[in-house]
Amino acid sequence: MIQKKICMLGGFAVGKTSLVKRLISGIFSEKYLTTVGVKIDQKSMSVRGQDILLVLWDLYGDDDFQKVRASYLQGASGYILVIDGTRKETVDVACRLHELAMKTIGPVPFVLLLNKHDLVDEWVVECPVVSDLSDQACLVSMVSAKTGEGVEAAFSALSEAMLKS
Amino acid sequence: MSGSIHDAALLSVFDALIFQKTADRFDRVGDLPSWFPPSGLSQEIELSPEQLLERSFFLQHFLHEAQSWWDSAETGQWKSGLWSEPALFGEDVVLEATAVRHGSVRYVILQRFGPEILPIQPLLQKAREEQLSHRQAVNHHERTEARLGSRLAKSEQERDDVMAVLDGLGLGTIMVDANRKVTFISGKARELLQTDPDRMIGRSLVKGLPWKTEDSARVEAMGQLPVAQRQAVSVVMERKNRSTRALEIEVQDDPRDPRKTILLLKDVTEMEELRRQLVGPTQFHDLVGKCPAMRVVYERIRDIATVDVPVLIDGETGTGKELVARAVHQLSLRHDHPFLPVNCAGLTDSLLGSQLFGHKRGAFTGATSDHEGFFESAEGGTLLLDEIGDMPLSIQTTLLRVLQEGEIIRLGESRPRKVNVRVLAATNQHLQELVQKGAFRADLLYRIRVARLKLPPLRERREDIPLLSAAFFMKSRIALGKMHVLGIAPETMQRFLRYSWPGNVRELKGALEYALIHCRGESVLPTDLPPEMCDVAPAVQISPFCKPNERELILDALTQTKGKRAQAAKLVGMSRSTFYRRLADLNIVQEESSL
Repeated sequence: MIQKKICMLGGFAVGKTSLVKRLISGIFSEKYLTTVGVKIDQKSMSVRGQDILLVLWDLYGDDDFQKVRASYLQGASGYILVIDGTRKETVDVACRLHELAMKTIGPVPFVLLLNKHDLVDEWVVECPVVSDLSDQACLVSMVSAKTGEGVEAAFSALSEAMLKS
Repeated sequence: MSGSIHDAALLSVFDALIFQKTADRFDRVGDLPSWFPPSGLSQEIELSPEQLLERSFFLQHFLHEAQSWWDSAETGQWKSGLWSEPALFGEDVVLEATAVRHGSVRYVILQRFGPEILPIQPLLQKAREEQLSHRQAVNHHERTEARLGSRLAKSEQERDDVMAVLDGLGLGTIMVDANRKVTFISGKARELLQTDPDRMIGRSLVKGLPWKTEDSARVEAMGQLPVAQRQAVSVVMERKNRSTRALEIEVQDDPRDPRKTILLLKDVTEMEELRRQLVGPTQFHDLVGKCPAMRVVYERIRDIATVDVPVLIDGETGTGKELVARAVHQLSLRHDHPFLPVNCAGLTDSLLGSQLFGHKRGAFTGATSDHEGFFESAEGGTLLLDEIGDMPLSIQTTLLRVLQEGEIIRLGESRPRKVNVRVLAATNQHLQELVQKGAFRADLLYRIRVARLKLPPLRERREDIPLLSAAFFMKSRIALGKMHVLGIAPETMQRFLRYSWPGNVRELKGALEYALIHCRGESVLPTDLPPEMCDVAPAVQISPFCKPNERELILDALTQTKGKRAQAAKLVGMSRSTFYRRLADLNIVQEESSL
């Protein structure tokens, strides 16, 4: 089976771990538990008849306390940039991490997820704000780890893009 | 150099999985740690520590990274950072790998950190939770600010729209808060009031608005009435160019808070002007009346005002001589300077002299300091010498000199002081007769009556009585707090029209105030009137809509009394002697014989 390493990138508490958990076990926990270090999970998927094993590297949230180590990105076939729609500052973090990824592993497929769509009334991030990233992403999607909206589709889209590249 | 430097017993202290890197493989050294096999491994699959190295995605990545480091470093250590791999090690197991090199000897040490020995986790958790909480608070504030900002913008837009509509309708708006302070003035209201809003906002309704205090009081009083009883308040304002502007002010409660008030201002100047053209002037400055005699007075005031000469105002007591004098002053070029009325009656020579011309300290007993007289105080303006017929002769002499020389000398001084004052004189006496009697200086009379104004008594302008009554009624009911009284009963007005009014307009004003004080109903009734008006005979029927003159009145009274003069005099409210004099003046004697 084809294995593909995917890195989950984004600021802290944007929902990276929750998205992975939703994908792998279909559950969501309201309690926020910060990720320390790197958490590695696996998920088998079938994309257009092709079985693929996604090795998901859920990296700790990038902030003033912890900076993402560039070496963790090595070997990734794609990555998922996660933005919290209710926090404008997570857009800047996503941009910074995107630059880091470009510098470290080059132009590999990535998807841009605007998470917490279930809290859309509280959203402060508007699509024009992320337009630069949107232009480069193979998918921009509004998702909700809480409801599951758009989660599997996002991983599938990235998988497909990785297989094509 | 190759070989090993480890001591199995020593290494077991670290409770770690330790591998020594040889050329092509990793050999475990030392004892297995207490946490091996990790809980995440399925019981059926037994993996050796070496196999675990191969199965862990993270370790594979790290070993690849470590190889590069080993190749470049002589000695030291390279850490992987914390990681977890639930599928292999279980949910709560956090590990860290360390690549060590000492010369040619290379190790990989795998250590486990449980929640109990990982201090960074709770610290980081707390820091991030606080940051999230702070961000949530900031977001909440920003959303609230945005919501309020949007609401404010909407409110302002709505207010602007309403104001545009009101302005378009020619309505000025003033808002007054519960403390009676002006809080808002629309553009149209500013235009109508011709005033700087900064001088009004935050000030009280009475002091803040540029009309007379009594007008503000009327507006204020109107607001105290139940809504159904409120009427528009009419205010006449003097504009900067000396013309007047008539405003109608509606007083409304703020529908959102009845403690607040909204004033709606409407410019009715044009309408007033049209009405005036239709019915003739009903008011001139503070003078009320539209009868031909009063119109003549108004015209003469206009003629006289701008000619800077002394004026003699002649009229019975209570006819409004001081109001005429004020109107002359207001229309004159001296209107920006003082207007001082002085009553010349009942004062001694020295006291009146001191009041008019001032005195020096010590000039007489009690003159403890220098004193400026009215002539000096009225510098540039107008001095009204009321009841000039009662002025002592000695003062008349001084006054004559002042009028001729334009100088005064304070009592006790010898130095003349230049004064620039226009003198108006008023009297209810026949000055020519006083001259003949030697009580008044002829030369002074000629001097002060360069221009003359004669005011008709009220009995000769009865058609103005309804107008005057209405004007006094509106002012007095507010001043006396009798807002429940809505009008004057027709029978009371009939009584007014029949009464002789020896005290003239002043008496009418007093009678109305008396009646209002005693009035308990909605209309002023004849029973509310002062006693002297209660026995006025109802025989002479005078309609307020006709234009009776004194001659007709007397003839009518004589007809009704079949020529009995005493009864006729009583009917028209005159003393017998006045009645006889009026008969002679009006040449009624001849006609009377034919009655």
